[in-house]
Amino acid sequence: MFSMPLIKAMRAAVIFLVLLGLTASSAYAVPAFARKYQTSCQTCHVVFPKLNAFGEAFRLRGYRMPGETEEMVKEPPVSLGAPAYKKLWPRAIWPGAISRTVPLAVNIKMADVNTSTLNDDGSVTHVNNDLQFPQEANIFGAGTLGDHVSYLTEVTFGENADSSVSVELEHARLQFDSPFGREDLFHFRIGKFAPNLVDGVQEMWISTDAAIDSMFAFNPVGVNGGTGLAEDTSPAPISLPDRIRGIEGYGIIAHRALWVAGLANGIGPGADGQFDGNNAKDVYARFDYKFGGMGLDGDTRGAAIPDKNWRDNSVRVGVFAYRGDGSKINFPFTLSDGTTQNIQDLHFVRTGVYASAFYQDLNVFGAYLHGTDSLQLFADDAPAGPVFEPDYKAWFAQADYVVYPWLQGTFRYETVTPGDRSAPTLKTGVFNVSALVRANVKAMLEYQRDLRQGQNHSLNALVRFAF
Amino acid sequence: MNRLPLAGVACLHCAALLLFTHALTAAAGTNVAGTVKITGAASNADAVVYIQNAAGTFPAGKSVTMDQSKMQFAPHVLPVVAGTMVKFLNDDPTAHNVFSPDNEKFNLGTWPQGQTKDYAFNKCAKFPCVYTLLCRVHPEMEGYIVVLQNPFFAVTGKDGSYAISGMPPGSYTLAVWHSKGKAQPKPLTVAANKPATADFVLGR
Repeated sequence: MFSMPLIKAMRAAVIFLVLLGLTASSAYAVPAFARKYQTSCQTCHVVFPKLNAFGEAFRLRGYRMPGETEEMVKEPPVSLGAPAYKKLWPRAIWPGAISRTVPLAVNIKMADVNTSTLNDDGSVTHVNNDLQFPQEANIFGAGTLGDHVSYLTEVTFGENADSSVSVELEHARLQFDSPFGREDLFHFRIGKFAPNLVDGVQEMWISTDAAIDSMFAFNPVGVNGGTGLAEDTSPAPISLPDRIRGIEGYGIIAHRALWVAGLANGIGPGADGQFDGNNAKDVYARFDYKFGGMGLDGDTRGAAIPDKNWRDNSVRVGVFAYRGDGSKINFPFTLSDGTTQNIQDLHFVRTGVYASAFYQDLNVFGAYLHGTDSLQLFADDAPAGPVFEPDYKAWFAQADYVVYPWLQGTFRYETVTPGDRSAPTLKTGVFNVSALVRANVKAMLEYQRDLRQGQNHSLNALVRFAF
Repeated sequence: MNRLPLAGVACLHCAALLLFTHALTAAAGTNVAGTVKITGAASNADAVVYIQNAAGTFPAGKSVTMDQSKMQFAPHVLPVVAGTMVKFLNDDPTAHNVFSPDNEKFNLGTWPQGQTKDYAFNKCAKFPCVYTLLCRVHPEMEGYIVVLQNPFFAVTGKDGSYAISGMPPGSYTLAVWHSKGKAQPKPLTVAANKPATADFVLGR
């Protein structure tokens, strides 16, 4: 067994720098839908991008409204084949449709950044009013392609301080919705997408801008041998992935239960230009149940429908698991004597529980994640030590409160206990106030604090708008 | 007090006169009238309201034209009495094809602007016989021929209204067909000079 190298004096600063360097997950709203249905953002969002119960049903149903009828679609699609061609298949192409206008939407984010960071030498660096105007822009394409097919694409342009621009294709997925069987019982998607694993921290729910999303960012073999958060490393960090290249099936059972099963490429890239770092595939699953409120498919039978669209008195609980295979993927690892070898995560498992409760204007939600890894040192591709099996845990809890339809307050607490128990636990608090200046223009003021080291904190003012 | 401008007053008179004239026209000779609501559809047009299995035999109607104009079948739905010859006219500068995958199935081929091809709908075994019309050249084009046993039928307008006339007094069954909805037929009694009313709500 080997011990993780510890450089405690530097750790806090490194962690916080990494933390600050993390780009917040792009959170999105897609005004293309507002055009299609000629409806307000608030039909689906509380304070965008956070979805309300109707929006969640719309998302899960493949961008179709619950009980959608032809007359609800104010911008009729362009037919790519008469419906009667279904009778002719396979002697004809199955009919489809595209939107009448190009279904593109743009989100822009600007930030006034103020940070205080404790450095390695004990000094503190202050950044005051760094006007990151803009910080990033997201271009979305989303919609349906006739019956049973939908899609989402997202290209993100991040503007860097040196005027260079980073571009990432964050989402590109094609989805088949209820291709057979009972409606919403089975959906199937392929591409690059956010897996349906944990609500509350992924794109469609996130209310905060600088939360560390520790569930997705902790890397057991990354910073300081697994005591910190993931960086942009190659190979990509080992974590619960916030996006995958893969295949996922999901469905809604009896309006209330959500099942998810997926298969992902896993850690990449490979040595010779492959997207996958090895030939093994990762697998994941999730099961949720919702008590009360609107059904996950938008079903309202037997439910008292509140007069405010963000209310949905209900409790949702779920479990999820992800199993990955990192064998044959080398991560450089510096031993305590200064020599460097490779480390492989032969296999890793992430399991967790998720819960969300709505009561009137309050939504409290959170998740707990437990991770185990099987790490082994390699020298020249030969095992150089026994398998070491650290485990870590992370959890967060968040409360969102709608003060007015245009004003929401959020408090979030999250923590990571690294596999190396001699290393300190990360604890972060975030307080956020989000105000809708218009339905599609949002202003945020957010304060984030490292709860272990008070000299690490940030206060950011942000503006997001979508059109 | 606000005053209507003179032109506005004149228009109100015109509208009232039109409504009165329309009501007289609708009542005269009409045996049954009503509306069809197609649940969830953007329009209530193109539903065929018809009499099921009227007593007697009915000759084929005069030939009628189904146009292919502006990349659409026009009318979108064309009901005909069994045996009627339909002339398929290509009114577009691009070539069109007409075929149907329904019933006996037919494919009339592809032809240029200004030409027509004829097809007699005389093979219907059980009324109504619905023929979906498609164009191989333009897969988005779709139309319908609905072959009926008798000439007592009407096609709804956008507002869903219809009126059927020319029926002898008696007991009938009134039915409705639409490509996107269904409804149960209704019994209908037609009396001389006393128009009946029947409304339908079509579901999926």
